[in-house]
Amino acid sequence: MIDFLVYLFTIIGIWGILALSLNVQFGFTGLVNLGHIVFFMLGAYVSAILVILAGMPFLVGVLGATVAAGLFGGLMALPTAQLQQDYWAISTLAAAEIVRIFFLNTTLGGPYIGASFGISGIPQPLRDAFASPAAYGWFYFAIVAVALAGSYFFVRWLTATPFGRALKAIREGDEVPLALGKDARSLRVRAMIVGGALGGLAGALFAHFNAYIAPNYFLPLETFIVWAMVILGGAGNHKGVLVGAVVIEALYNSTRFLAAHVGFIDPGTLASLRMIVIGLLITGVVMYMPRGLMPEPRRRYGARNAADGR
Amino acid sequence: MVGRRNRHRVRGARDDIRTPGIAVTQVLVDSLLRTAQVSLLSVGLTLVYSLLRFPNFAHVEFAVVGGYVALLFSATLGLPLLPSIVLAVLIAGACGVLMDRAVFARLRDTTPILMMIASFGLGIAMRATVRLAWGASPRSYGLGLQSPVHFLDATITPVQIWILVVAAASMLGFYLLLNFTRLGIAMRATADNAGLASSSGIYTERVIGTVWFLGAAFAGLGGVLIGLDTQLFPRMGFGIIIPVFAAAILGGIGNPYGAVAGALVIGLAENVGLAINWQPLLGLFGHTGGPAYIPTNWRAAIPFSILILVLLVRPQGLFGERKS
Repeated sequence: MIDFLVYLFTIIGIWGILALSLNVQFGFTGLVNLGHIVFFMLGAYVSAILVILAGMPFLVGVLGATVAAGLFGGLMALPTAQLQQDYWAISTLAAAEIVRIFFLNTTLGGPYIGASFGISGIPQPLRDAFASPAAYGWFYFAIVAVALAGSYFFVRWLTATPFGRALKAIREGDEVPLALGKDARSLRVRAMIVGGALGGLAGALFAHFNAYIAPNYFLPLETFIVWAMVILGGAGNHKGVLVGAVVIEALYNSTRFLAAHVGFIDPGTLASLRMIVIGLLITGVVMYMPRGLMPEPRRRYGARNAADGR
Repeated sequence: MVGRRNRHRVRGARDDIRTPGIAVTQVLVDSLLRTAQVSLLSVGLTLVYSLLRFPNFAHVEFAVVGGYVALLFSATLGLPLLPSIVLAVLIAGACGVLMDRAVFARLRDTTPILMMIASFGLGIAMRATVRLAWGASPRSYGLGLQSPVHFLDATITPVQIWILVVAAASMLGFYLLLNFTRLGIAMRATADNAGLASSSGIYTERVIGTVWFLGAAFAGLGGVLIGLDTQLFPRMGFGIIIPVFAAAILGGIGNPYGAVAGALVIGLAENVGLAINWQPLLGLFGHTGGPAYIPTNWRAAIPFSILILVLLVRPQGLFGERKS
């Protein structure tokens, strides 16, 4: 039970970073990125390739993953940043699928590595220093907790800067920032770079935690799971999206736990049921509380100490 | 991707295309079949978009509903296939109306982004419901082995001929409806300017309901046709979402004729792209060696790439006019 909880919270931490990164793009900048999983996928693959095929240490792999995913975010946004929101959304979905099809059809460093075989045996940092898997679970949880805390304080700082306020202005429409001399296109590209880099970090942490990655881990459905976290928690609120990550991942992983206790329902049925619950939950949140469990704090002008909402 | 793979097995003629004498007619037949399936879905998507201005990500799930309900009536309840299909199409249409009344009617005044996210959630729930009821493994209508007809170097089964005929007839019927009935005129007026249409005495909510019914019914029919051609599986809707969106955008989103034309472009690009020997082109870049074909595994990347290219070069679509 305690091992399951450590596992669950490690997963929540990794997906929490991913939710924070989507929140920078959607919650703050209003970018409807339906291909967000592409950064997670790139991060996982780049780190695995750097560590396994190039023999780099874990930290270099994670750093490389972060940089690569950030660059891809910029690359993805550069030509498309002027598109209408709905068109942009579909183009991100397509871009993510193209990258997945690329990995699905590309072998890396040998006939049975990469492609649909995936990459197995991804080294876990300092694995040999721990005797039992349970102790190592705690250690990796600590790594993820540090990364999550770092990401949280980073996005909190970033969105409180003038840059962050400019992003929020973009979200409400291009006219005002343009009138103030802000380059909306460049701001969108930069938001995609920041969000992409954080997504890459989460992907790298996932790859070394799971020790195995394959293209079918990065289906468009996973993007939706991140969206569910952001919408449920409250877009534009960093703490909110973390709460969303806890609720959604707990639901998502509940079947693993429930299957052992509820004998009369088979795992396939439970898996379908949990997706129905998550899908309806999101539709319900959009209908009845579109601002999420923890709405974004509104800054009130004229009130005293107005700025310390976040 | 299970379905895609099976598709090739069912067609059987795929390997022939790879031989030096390319059967042009076979490529054409394959393209038209794909066009038939994609266009039935993209027309409904674009219609709903033209009225409510949001891309309905749950739209492709009506195809899943239609396909599986037809299976329910024919295989499980023992009805003949034809009435089963009619019932399935009507039920898919009713699901569209239900979805609008239950969810989107209450979101009319919100932003397109919220409606889009709600549609994504509904799509997931619908797909999971089908999986809950029928399981994840592929199903078929059990038509048995089809003896193919040979026609100008191409191989086509009788069912595939029916698919082409039914899709063409639906599109013709839709054209007549849109142009020669009061309902069609009301639909076009509402799409053009809902406020003006409403003040001219058109009951726009009823028009919206009709459009949901038509769009979902077309998608349901598309799902049945996909099931007849290959197999049914819960992810068949989401698997075709990019070609469907690409077709709608290619034709200028909101334009039903454009959606059909866009489906034709997608159908041709997927099949012709694979049948072409790219060696002469690659030769220009110093590539040597034998004939160079795009591997079949990469087929799915073709509509994705077209979609992104179109969005970059002509976001208003091939036939659309840029709106200010």
